[in-house]
Amino acid sequence: MIFKWFDERLELRKFKDKFLSKTFPTHPTFLLGEIALFSFITLVITGIFLGFLYEPSVKMVSLFGAMVPAAYASVVKTDLLPMGMIIRRIHHWSAMIMIASILVHLMRVYFTASYRKPRELNWLVGLGLWCISMGAAFTGYLLPYSKFSTTATSIAYYIAKSVPWIGDWISRLVFAGDFPSAGTVPRFFFMHVMLIPMLLVGLIGLHMLILVKQKHTEPNSNKKKKEAEGGRRLIGIPIWPEQTIISLSFYLFLLFIIVLVATYIPLNPIENYGPPSPGTPVMRPDWYFLVVYGFLKLIPGDLSFSILGGNITPETIGGVLFPAFTILVFALIPFLDKGKGKGLQNYTENPLHRPFMTSFGIGGGVFLCMLVVAGYMDVLHLTARTMSIYIILASTAAWSISYTLLRLYNKKRMGEDNDEA
Amino acid sequence: MVDKNLGDKGDKRGITRRRFTLGVIIASIVGAFGSLLSLLKILAPAKEGGGYVSTIKPGDQLIYAQGANMGADIKVSALNAGESVLVYPAGKTSNPANIVQLIKLDEGAYKAPTDIKLTDQGLIAYSAICTHLGCTVSWVEKKKSPDTSYTECFCHNSIFDPTRGAKVLAGPAPIPLAQIGIKVKDNGTLVFTSDFKGPIGPQV
Repeated sequence: MIFKWFDERLELRKFKDKFLSKTFPTHPTFLLGEIALFSFITLVITGIFLGFLYEPSVKMVSLFGAMVPAAYASVVKTDLLPMGMIIRRIHHWSAMIMIASILVHLMRVYFTASYRKPRELNWLVGLGLWCISMGAAFTGYLLPYSKFSTTATSIAYYIAKSVPWIGDWISRLVFAGDFPSAGTVPRFFFMHVMLIPMLLVGLIGLHMLILVKQKHTEPNSNKKKKEAEGGRRLIGIPIWPEQTIISLSFYLFLLFIIVLVATYIPLNPIENYGPPSPGTPVMRPDWYFLVVYGFLKLIPGDLSFSILGGNITPETIGGVLFPAFTILVFALIPFLDKGKGKGLQNYTENPLHRPFMTSFGIGGGVFLCMLVVAGYMDVLHLTARTMSIYIILASTAAWSISYTLLRLYNKKRMGEDNDEA
Repeated sequence: MVDKNLGDKGDKRGITRRRFTLGVIIASIVGAFGSLLSLLKILAPAKEGGGYVSTIKPGDQLIYAQGANMGADIKVSALNAGESVLVYPAGKTSNPANIVQLIKLDEGAYKAPTDIKLTDQGLIAYSAICTHLGCTVSWVEKKKSPDTSYTECFCHNSIFDPTRGAKVLAGPAPIPLAQIGIKVKDNGTLVFTSDFKGPIGPQV
């Protein structure tokens, strides 16, 4: 009845035939992007709740007899509400899971070469989504205005300031003046709840639109099956009803995991950090910033020089040039590795069959993981020099060993193929 | 693209008109959005002083910056050798550039390039703002003889040697913490006697 009413007005049946029958591959690694999307939905819902209670101001107010910034007081009050703290933790955990799943999604696309023509564009959009998600996380750091918030933001402020030539202006643009300034919290609040979510929604829409237009890459295993059938039809299941049911139950399961983790593992205990104070305790950023954090620790302090009037300091190298270079390498991948021929490449590749790219990915991955370890240098009692040697050794070893093994494997495989022929 | 869409390919005037219109549209889009770029300048507030500028003057009283005694005058008797506290100049606690680390060691412990004239009864004071990225440094106490305590910034683990002019022993800090003169008054409290003897705050 209801369906008919809407169908007569909106031609739902046409829509269903055209879009809801889009084919989804059934391989489980194709669900990674959905984890990110679902985490984003959770973030929006919990974010709306938190937005009702948050006060973006650093004016000093009285809280249980102590004078603290209004932003800090409002978050402490949120934590004291029934379910308040758990919603805040769910928000934080979802953010971490969103960034993690985008990263793993990116890795899946990388190792299976799904970024090749015609999907270069969507690779770039996805990369953009990852960067903007980290921007969202970073602006969210400051909002509770605890000791942790101001320390982390102050570090980022000086990193922004270390950008050659325009650093002074960039830092004042992003932080609304010289941090700590009363304007920073309102500006970050606007970016965190408005600007960045809008960008994310827009880019997610674009990502999905391109995906629907270009369709998924198909798992390599489908190739033979399809060639045997001789058909062009994609193998998989349609959005409605199969994929929707899978996705929905998957989302509920993910939500269950997030709530479980949020219930038992405390995160960002701002009452423990307290409001901003003169001292700085031991604190580390969330995991996705640990790479840059570790790199900043490693760089020797006397590595400054200037070119054309721009000052390159260790912070420029560790906090600006190194992340920018890493993102650039990611962005260039589809344009450097085009695969065989100029045609459209709609099948995933077996990572075991591409020794160079796979070993490069493993080596690079180990390099970044070792930088995270460098973030814990003080706990491990290692000096910067020893740590640097470990990093170089570990990543070169990972790269060369995986390359050699894969080459041997492929030689053997080619040999067997020839024997069969 | 443009040529393909043209119905009459021979009509040269048509192409010109089309190209012209297209050019005008592109120019106005670029112009419209380009003019918005000037807003970016407005959105970045003007520089206010910029960076860490200390307002400590000789004669300012040293007070506790945090803890149970926050705001109270520091007495020379309160500190044992090997201990340290964070201090502010009295009445100037709102400027983050004024935070200072006061350390007490044995009087004979100080070596060059420490300015020994600026110390008094084994007490020495340095800027407490890490020269790397601006976190506040902490005192790591090692109850050993000889005393091997040091100053460390817990943000990126820069380590400074308080006995040698806060020389950087490890970590990413580019320059030492700046020393500042102090002296014990007759009533046992402390005052500053000089400005910082070097740049303070992050060197970016």
